[in-house]
Amino acid sequence: MMLASTIWQRELIEFAQRRRALVIKLAFPLLVAIPLVLSGAPPIYAAMGITMLAAIIGALGAAAVLSRERQSGLTLRYRTLPVNPGRLLIERLGTSAAIDFMQLTPVLLLIALRHPSQFAWWPALMLGTAAVLLIGNLLGALASTLSNSPGEVMLYVVVPLLPLLYLSGVFTTLDQPALLLISRLLPFGYLHEAVLGTLGGQPNLLPWETLLGAFGFLVGAAGLTGRLGRRVLETD
Amino acid sequence: MRDDTASEPSLLSTSGLTRAYRGGKGVFDVSLKLSAGEIFGLMGPNGSGKTTLLRLLATAANPTAGRISWFGTTDFRDPSVRRRLGIMLDQPAHFEQMTGYQNAWFFARQFGLSEDFARERLDELFNWSGLSEARGQLVGEYSLGMKRRLNLVEALVHRPSILLLDEPTLALDYRGELDLIERLQLLGLTGTAVVLATNDVHLAERLCDYIIFLHNGRVIREGRVPDMLTEVAGSKEVELQLNSPVDLDGLRRLAAVEGASVQGDVVHVVLSRGANPAQVLAVLNGTADLVSVMRVRQPNLGDLFLKLTGVVLPAAHR
Repeated sequence: MMLASTIWQRELIEFAQRRRALVIKLAFPLLVAIPLVLSGAPPIYAAMGITMLAAIIGALGAAAVLSRERQSGLTLRYRTLPVNPGRLLIERLGTSAAIDFMQLTPVLLLIALRHPSQFAWWPALMLGTAAVLLIGNLLGALASTLSNSPGEVMLYVVVPLLPLLYLSGVFTTLDQPALLLISRLLPFGYLHEAVLGTLGGQPNLLPWETLLGAFGFLVGAAGLTGRLGRRVLETD
Repeated sequence: MRDDTASEPSLLSTSGLTRAYRGGKGVFDVSLKLSAGEIFGLMGPNGSGKTTLLRLLATAANPTAGRISWFGTTDFRDPSVRRRLGIMLDQPAHFEQMTGYQNAWFFARQFGLSEDFARERLDELFNWSGLSEARGQLVGEYSLGMKRRLNLVEALVHRPSILLLDEPTLALDYRGELDLIERLQLLGLTGTAVVLATNDVHLAERLCDYIIFLHNGRVIREGRVPDMLTEVAGSKEVELQLNSPVDLDGLRRLAAVEGASVQGDVVHVVLSRGANPAQVLAVLNGTADLVSVMRVRQPNLGDLFLKLTGVVLPAAHR
């Protein structure tokens, strides 16, 4: 019997023990990505689909789990643990984002193998995916504090997520300077650029610029998660 | 609030403790003091604020006014405070896709137990709770009673200085209830303080040193159990099972009636000292055929509550 002594170990053990969920979690992104990557769809559309997939997996997964825990009383139990709330949330969302990353790894491998000549974009692709997943998890965690109903929480996730994806230039190329500036201040554009570059499209940024942006958002998201620990865990 | 003395330092104290929710619910202006080895009962009907008060004491909720001090500190996030609290909340929340033992192990380790000590304590507590056979079973497959027993194991595993238990006997069988009473009495003797929220008057009378009655979020009476029972000593509780509605106001107007309340087809009447239960039948004005059962018994804490508020504790007449 696997035993967990830490919060991140517990997350991993529970994930590994949910066999059916494990299969679905690994199969679902591939089912979406295979037609996009292998069918010869224009890179701009494929990049849009994969960026949305990463954002939704991160945000909806965390929102669903945390709102269910709030309803069942597990959040109250976490609240009474002798652990700093910031550290607790970082461990939980960090592990959850890592599990989401594992879920997306077959998709990333598929993209890389399909376009091996674009290897310069691979680091940005990985870091961009990690940043979007962690931010998605944080968004889901914040949404879970707004309602005890999982259905309602899904709505609270999607409502800000779609405009943010638009403002990141995921749905359409942004020409106006003001919108372009806003897109640089949001994390999703960097993943979109990285996917576009890896698929052989025409991104606006260079690989190192995208890598730097993604890294900044990853670090920023980790810091923000720590600061929002009390907000997420101690809100009734 | 009782006086604190140098010989009896309090482990837990509150003053003016308030937690207000929208709609007027919550707890208001609660002051209490809990010493080592003391067993404290919080009693009141559903919605009276027992669970809210217990959550505040358990650091699971923040007060909107007043203060709480645990072991001399008021910082509810202090890990050294939380490590000394054993908590069983109203919801038996667990990780359902993990086994009972995996759940208990996780919580034991979170409370700072070494691997060897956690193993030793869990072996002992799983045996005590009767969950040994089910330790490898997923919690999602546990019955409510098993989940509650697992909660008790998790609350006790790190040998807390204060145990905070919400309805600890709920969903336990008779054997489990007796084992729990014995365990809590033993813990009391070794200096562990216990706060239990309960409506089980027999449990409270048997176990508690001190009782607080809560009604609409406020303390309406508190005291040592023998003192509180003295208040209703000599009076009688009459329970009437009725075939049709009765004139409750007429009953309450009787000088001998200290309190009366109706629950479904059962009327509970507390009679003052020396009163004759036949007076109750007399007020029914010759319609004795509407009474299918009449019981007379010695009063308990539930009757005192009824006398004070006119409200019956849900489990008072079990």
